[in-house]
Amino acid sequence: MERSKYPLYFSFPAVIVFLLFFITPTIIGIYYSFTDWNINADAIKFIGLENYKELFNEPRLKQAFINTLIFAAAVTLLQNAVGLALALLLNEKLKLRNLLRMIFFMPYVIAPLVIGYIFRAIYHPEHGIVNQFFGMLGIDFMVQDWLNDPRFALFTVIMTDIWRVAGFSMVVYLAGLQFIPKDLTESASIDGANYWTRFKHVVFPLLAPAFTVNVLLAMIGSMKVFEIVMVLTEGGPGYTTEVFYTYIRNTFSSGEMGYATAINMLLFVLVTLVGIPVLLAMKKREVEM
Amino acid sequence: MRSRKYSPLLLELLAICLAMLILIPFFMIFINSFKDIRESALFGLSLPSNWVFSNYEEVFNQDNLLRGFKNSFLLSALVVVSVNFFASMAAFVIQRRGGKFLQGVYLAFIMGLIVPVSIIPTIRLMDLLHIKGSYLSIIMYYTAVLLPFAVFLLVGFIKSVPRELDEAAILEGCGYFRLYFKIILPLISTVLVTVSIVVIVSVWNDFFGPFYLVTDSTKWTIVLQVFNFVTLYSTNWGVVFAFMIVVITPVLIIYLFLQRYIIDGLTAGSVKG
Repeated sequence: MERSKYPLYFSFPAVIVFLLFFITPTIIGIYYSFTDWNINADAIKFIGLENYKELFNEPRLKQAFINTLIFAAAVTLLQNAVGLALALLLNEKLKLRNLLRMIFFMPYVIAPLVIGYIFRAIYHPEHGIVNQFFGMLGIDFMVQDWLNDPRFALFTVIMTDIWRVAGFSMVVYLAGLQFIPKDLTESASIDGANYWTRFKHVVFPLLAPAFTVNVLLAMIGSMKVFEIVMVLTEGGPGYTTEVFYTYIRNTFSSGEMGYATAINMLLFVLVTLVGIPVLLAMKKREVEM
Repeated sequence: MRSRKYSPLLLELLAICLAMLILIPFFMIFINSFKDIRESALFGLSLPSNWVFSNYEEVFNQDNLLRGFKNSFLLSALVVVSVNFFASMAAFVIQRRGGKFLQGVYLAFIMGLIVPVSIIPTIRLMDLLHIKGSYLSIIMYYTAVLLPFAVFLLVGFIKSVPRELDEAAILEGCGYFRLYFKIILPLISTVLVTVSIVVIVSVWNDFFGPFYLVTDSTKWTIVLQVFNFVTLYSTNWGVVFAFMIVVITPVLIIYLFLQRYIIDGLTAGSVKG
């Protein structure tokens, strides 16, 4: 059947909504990032590169930039490590396997905002169960003010997000594991390959598609982190946990719309620069395998 | 013939210990939701010295609660419908027809999968279109944000639907609309379930969108109500935890019943796509 007979207009509803409500704001955002758009001013004036000049002289942007990258790298790495470990564990013949899978995925269906509030209580310096637990074990050096100590705040936020998303990666890896034929691993073990060798040479290469999906989703998602940071630390103490979206929220609240839009544009550029090569590299790798 | 270094019992114990890490935080808010103002502020894991059920009474007396649930439900339902329809129709012709224009469209959607939305210009756009703060504006926002992922998943899946089916149907005198509704849609229904799950979880739990786009408090979703409630009641954690329990319980119950489909759906969707 001729391809050209398929009606083009089937794509129009999706194209129109996407063009109007995704692409248009991005494009007008470019314009607004060059203006002094302020909620308190009557008119919006074009000011060229002023916002960007100001931004690049602002140590807070540098902090937000570094923190977003650290957060994204750490979450991507740990989420995949923990998710894969959980998947391998729950791929074994355990009695409570299904129940356990269900439990590990559970945090993913709860709103990140709510999880943020729960963990604010958990990390409370005096009463929070984290410090209570370490106190009980008598390891006092582990009793810390997790959210208000600049040395630990970012680490704490990262760990909280891992708690939330590891189960999602686990499910994707479990899916990948199902596609690995049993006789492949079995014949390898008959040939005398131990667990680690089997994993390295048989299981891991065949997990490539699941790996691609997980790494991509984790990277893209973690660079857009907002609620968890907003609720746990509001970007503090100081600016030690500031990420792009908390920075945008603060400048938005003070009415500096043009400036906030410029921050958003920088996030746009950053995510695109990181995202596209990863997408291409991983697609290529998948084909080769 | 399998040689095992670890006994299954040991692995089981390890898994249970790890599962406790997930369950204890939920237990903590549950048990503290029955404590009075002083005891709940200690965030402990012990049973309440006296059970305070009035926390829940206070929560259920909030008009905002029911309205928040209603708004979240309405938004999720409408976004599910629009995303599934728009994305599947587009994915169908992108995969079948191809060509420069649709290749470009597909590429634009893939880009949309990666890049973040420009939220403040979106507010401005809604203002210019005179739909700022309306249900329509937030539905369009979510549809635009979630379309890329849905299109991506569906294009991948429609590849596995043989073109011979289309040919046979068209030869029988079936039009393209009927082909899409009667043959393609039923065949891709498993992926549509995956899309729906992801859309519902995203819309229901999202704070970012309504925080920026919905100013009118009667249109606030349940997550925005939590935000508002915690701000107002942050001195009484017992009531705050009760509010959270009321908010997450329906989600967990639905998850409990549907987890098979949710996990299987994500499984099928993620690796195929």
